[in-house]
Amino acid sequence: MTPVVVHDPTLRDGQHAVRHQLGVAALRGYAEAADAAGVPVVEVGHGNGLGASSMQVGRAAVSDDLMLSTVREALRRSKMGVFMLPGWGTSSDLRKAIAHGADVIRIGVHCTETSLAERHLGWLAEQGAEGHCVLMMSHMASAAELASHAAAAVGYGARAVGLMDSAGFFLPQDVTSRIGAIVAAVDVPVIFHGHNNLGMAVANSVAAAQAGARIIDGCARGFGAGAGNTQLEVLVPVLERTGFSTGIDLYGLLDAADFAERELMPAPPTTGTLSIVSGLAGVFSGFKHQVLDASTRAGVDPRDVFFELGRRQAIAGQEDLIVDVVAELGRTAV
Amino acid sequence: MTVSELGLAGRIRVGVIGTGAIGQDLVSKLHRSPVLECALVIGRNAASEGLAYAARLGYPVSDGGIDAVLAADRPFDVLFDATSAAAHAEHWRLLADVPTLLVDLTPSKIGQMVVPTVTGVGGVTGRDVSLISCGGQASIPVAHALAERFAVDYIEVVSTVASTIAGRATRLNLDEYVATTQHAVTTFTDVAETKAILNISPAVPPATFRTAVHAVIPGADVAGVRAVVDEVAARVRAFAPGYRVTACSVAGERVVVSVEVTATSDVLPPYAGNLDIINSAAILVAEQHAARLSPAAGTGARA
Repeated sequence: MTPVVVHDPTLRDGQHAVRHQLGVAALRGYAEAADAAGVPVVEVGHGNGLGASSMQVGRAAVSDDLMLSTVREALRRSKMGVFMLPGWGTSSDLRKAIAHGADVIRIGVHCTETSLAERHLGWLAEQGAEGHCVLMMSHMASAAELASHAAAAVGYGARAVGLMDSAGFFLPQDVTSRIGAIVAAVDVPVIFHGHNNLGMAVANSVAAAQAGARIIDGCARGFGAGAGNTQLEVLVPVLERTGFSTGIDLYGLLDAADFAERELMPAPPTTGTLSIVSGLAGVFSGFKHQVLDASTRAGVDPRDVFFELGRRQAIAGQEDLIVDVVAELGRTAV
Repeated sequence: MTVSELGLAGRIRVGVIGTGAIGQDLVSKLHRSPVLECALVIGRNAASEGLAYAARLGYPVSDGGIDAVLAADRPFDVLFDATSAAAHAEHWRLLADVPTLLVDLTPSKIGQMVVPTVTGVGGVTGRDVSLISCGGQASIPVAHALAERFAVDYIEVVSTVASTIAGRATRLNLDEYVATTQHAVTTFTDVAETKAILNISPAVPPATFRTAVHAVIPGADVAGVRAVVDEVAARVRAFAPGYRVTACSVAGERVVVSVEVTATSDVLPPYAGNLDIINSAAILVAEQHAARLSPAAGTGARA
């Protein structure tokens, strides 16, 4: 059996599904359950990471400080992970997270903008921290481009590097070629983080592991934006059956997922109309709530809004474009 | 004094340090200014495109970095600093005893902050002027106008810059960009809770520079917001003609104003409005300084 590290961003990426409103009891309860199951890394934060509570994406119910101290206290065996987007959070957020006991610090960048992470990855390496780099919206670049950006991230100091399929656009063969190219280009563990817009998240994650990825992300009940992420409690047994060991206790994992369904979300994510459309349009699923709100107010079709955002190549973080696109479609409609 | 001692036709002596897109556009704008003489363009790489551009226009160039500024036979009246936040802090220290006005285009947060439509450009008292950031120059006019007219509980500015014109210094200075822009928004709106965000867009063709100003304004009405914003946009267009409001939305107490800025420049592509607006503000500051040094400078006769 080949070991893979399962990385669980339920308490970070799941925030997108509930407008960043997870409370302290939910954070503590899920972290304890994941820890008891032996999930290696539990990631926590606002959906867009440290320092990202904002009107642009959504203001969080709980401060970064309180989220991190709550989850830190709840974890005995699991490492605590955090996420940060340069331009949203800053080095001072990273310093605070390390002071709170964060073990794994992921720097996210659009997949062709790795140099935005140069400073932060370098600083993390200087601190001796475990800095990872994740290339977001990775369907927007070729395998060769992704490999060269991944190699650059390792040069900056990343101790793991990989892909987020932020729009849930990939099919398994897309993942195989891209992860394969990265595995060939770097000598650090490679990460895959799937989204389920087209129902492919578990299949894509297995393809990633088979192509050499050694850190695979999954969220309880798929808790995440839109159609959700790779469903953790499905991912783990499927990985085990395909020859990868995770070290996670199955019953503990199922208990954690039951807790998540009961306490974290009004309902588990489903592949609704807008999730399919955002996947096809290649737009980050996290735009869903705002697209729906603005489209409803203006009386335009939210599907048109997603396809227009895709045409404009909106990347994660560009939620401010929604208002402009809705206004423009509203004008052309009358 | 002879004409040569006065400087060319009474213009004040301006140096430009930094030869990226900002530096090149500054040189092109100096080339068009009747009162600013581009006396030296300074980089650190003799083969840089920016130095070649300045040389083609006939301006003296040096690849000696800040040492070339210190070695100049007489001080510059104005030095535009288009390097990086850390380099500017060093330049400010080295030039402490030199009677040069530093106009800082980096987000170093050292100097007196200027946003032309908010602070004016005539009230400079120190020797270091901070242009804050491109996002600050685009968003603060709107944020300030909203805060003057309404009771604002929270304000947030989100800018998007095309990847192709975000150079290495910009990429390494995101922390300073965020901190300095947020500090300026707080200072000029008097709103306690503020936030600044920067996105770099990889879109092809490149995306036009934009800024969204989000605000929480209880009781806001769309007509009132629109009137305030249109008025301030017209005033910004007096020096940055590509500045326009693209959307203005009010939902309950949530207000969003989107602004796009296109560049009017000899060297910048139209989408690079971020560089055009900050550089146009810098030129205004320098021209005002010229008028202060020499009230007749505009007529070509220096006192």
